[in-house]
Amino acid sequence: MSDTSHGTGGLTFDKTKRSWPSELNVLLALIIIIVIFEILGQVLPYMNDQSFLFDTRDRFDSIFNEARLKIIILQVAIIGIIALGVSQVIITGGIDLSSGPLVAATAMIAMSFGQTELVNGFANPKALFGPWAMDLPVLVPIVIGLFFGALIGAINGTFVAYFKIPPFIATLGMFLICRGIALWWSSGNPISFPTAQFHAIGGGMMPVVWFLSLAVIFHLIMRYTVYGKHTYAIGSNEEAARMSGINVKRHKIMVYMIAAILAAFAGIVLSAKASTAQAGMGEFYELFAIAMAVIGGISLSGGRGSIIGTVLGAMVLGVIRSGFTYIKLDGSYQLMAMGGIIIAAVILDQYRQRNKA
Amino acid sequence: MASGVDAIIVNIVDTSAGAAVSAAAGDTPLVYVNREPDNVDVLPATQAFVASNEIESGTLSAFEICKNLRADGKAGGARGYLMNGQLSNQAAVQRSKDVHDVIGMDMCNFMTIIDEQTANWSRDEAQDLMTNWMSSGEPFDFVLANNDEMAIGAIQAMKAAGMDMADVQVGGVDASQDALLAMAAGDYDVTVFQDSVGQGTGSIDTALRLIAGEKVDKKVYIPFVLVTPDNMGDFLDKN
Repeated sequence: MSDTSHGTGGLTFDKTKRSWPSELNVLLALIIIIVIFEILGQVLPYMNDQSFLFDTRDRFDSIFNEARLKIIILQVAIIGIIALGVSQVIITGGIDLSSGPLVAATAMIAMSFGQTELVNGFANPKALFGPWAMDLPVLVPIVIGLFFGALIGAINGTFVAYFKIPPFIATLGMFLICRGIALWWSSGNPISFPTAQFHAIGGGMMPVVWFLSLAVIFHLIMRYTVYGKHTYAIGSNEEAARMSGINVKRHKIMVYMIAAILAAFAGIVLSAKASTAQAGMGEFYELFAIAMAVIGGISLSGGRGSIIGTVLGAMVLGVIRSGFTYIKLDGSYQLMAMGGIIIAAVILDQYRQRNKA
Repeated sequence: MASGVDAIIVNIVDTSAGAAVSAAAGDTPLVYVNREPDNVDVLPATQAFVASNEIESGTLSAFEICKNLRADGKAGGARGYLMNGQLSNQAAVQRSKDVHDVIGMDMCNFMTIIDEQTANWSRDEAQDLMTNWMSSGEPFDFVLANNDEMAIGAIQAMKAAGMDMADVQVGGVDASQDALLAMAAGDYDVTVFQDSVGQGTGSIDTALRLIAGEKVDKKVYIPFVLVTPDNMGDFLDKN
């Protein structure tokens, strides 16, 4: 029970030894980071006593700066959707590097079927197909996009499960293939001007709605369903899982498909939000998604972590990004600091793992 | 490396790799197009550079915004934001420098930059960045961006927050189709047309002349053109 080198399935399995869930640590880290930015706002001379979280200019009904709270979660919601899927893959002991380019490829493909014919009276200059592909019911681009994601996920899963290719390599190959697809689809040209319904998928706070709804759904799935338990089991000890009668190969394919479908959905939401699809979208998304999962307590060796942790990990990245803009930190320092924080989070997590009774 | 070709035209992605690329070409005529390699001042006689001068792009855009702000009666003081492209890109660095140079001029030093951050040329990142900036509640009069995509992202964010685009001057570079439609809708104020077709044909002309052994200018600059609502009709089919 106290074998800490593989992890023992987190909350679901090791109830007797659990004293301090790792999610609470992430929450604590989140609060500390917010306090640090609040202090910096008071202390740094060029900041003029602004507040990070509180509404000092009295623009909102509550005491909080609602605009800031909204953007903190809005800016990480789309990558957060990807992180929900990647978390499951990592829990099985694998990894998925193809999410970023998959976002771009799906955005290009879906947006081609989500465009509108007339833009302010002008003909849509970015039409890829003819008029038959314009002003289609919004379900068409969504279904096509998700289907594409499922296809890519099935390929990933098959390579990992049946051909026994290391997940890093298989998904790295798919990373390159998807980027190629995104560039090839419209010869590098952007695809813009969606229908109003398509834009509504990603408009306003919708990305947050999607992110949190999917988080709740997958939290329940991972905690309370057979699928969830099998996922943790495979990550903890794949041989034992197989000998217990779990169809490991089929389950892995399912997990990779779910991750890819979530990434594809993220691509649809992204292109709806920005009202465009560009071949270069999604750059570094897969890495930030993995970072969210890792900061949230998902162990890269598998079998440990939770969806709640991933959501908190996403919040941490959101707070950091907003905080850096708040204190007007130079771009290059932002990257260095972000990298440092991710490394620190993993070190802290390893330390806690080793000291768990 | 140069096997059996008469000339090479290169759009160099990593502008700091100029020396290596130039050396690899050997005696084969080489024309750099669009992106300026860092060895552009010491190119051999068989090599040349065809592009648009990024000193023009940012300057045209920022200066026009400066004039617009004056016309709006804000010569007493105007505050705004600057969005950078990818920081590793020479174009982004130069365009932002242009903005600072324009603001340094007597005629335009009523403008102040509240903050400058990168949105990596991306519309979506620019949306989030603009929303982040607006969450502090600071009033502002203009937004300058190194390219249209980021400017459009900023416009989308401002409109989502309910701002009237008549109150804010927004300027960028590229004159893309999306940008011109935003201009037609009255949201976007200033952009600059980069004649990529002109750069392409210019690079081929230069390559042909190098093959023929003629002497060419080391740097051939294709001019940028300022695009405002007045002349935007000319550019709708150009990009």
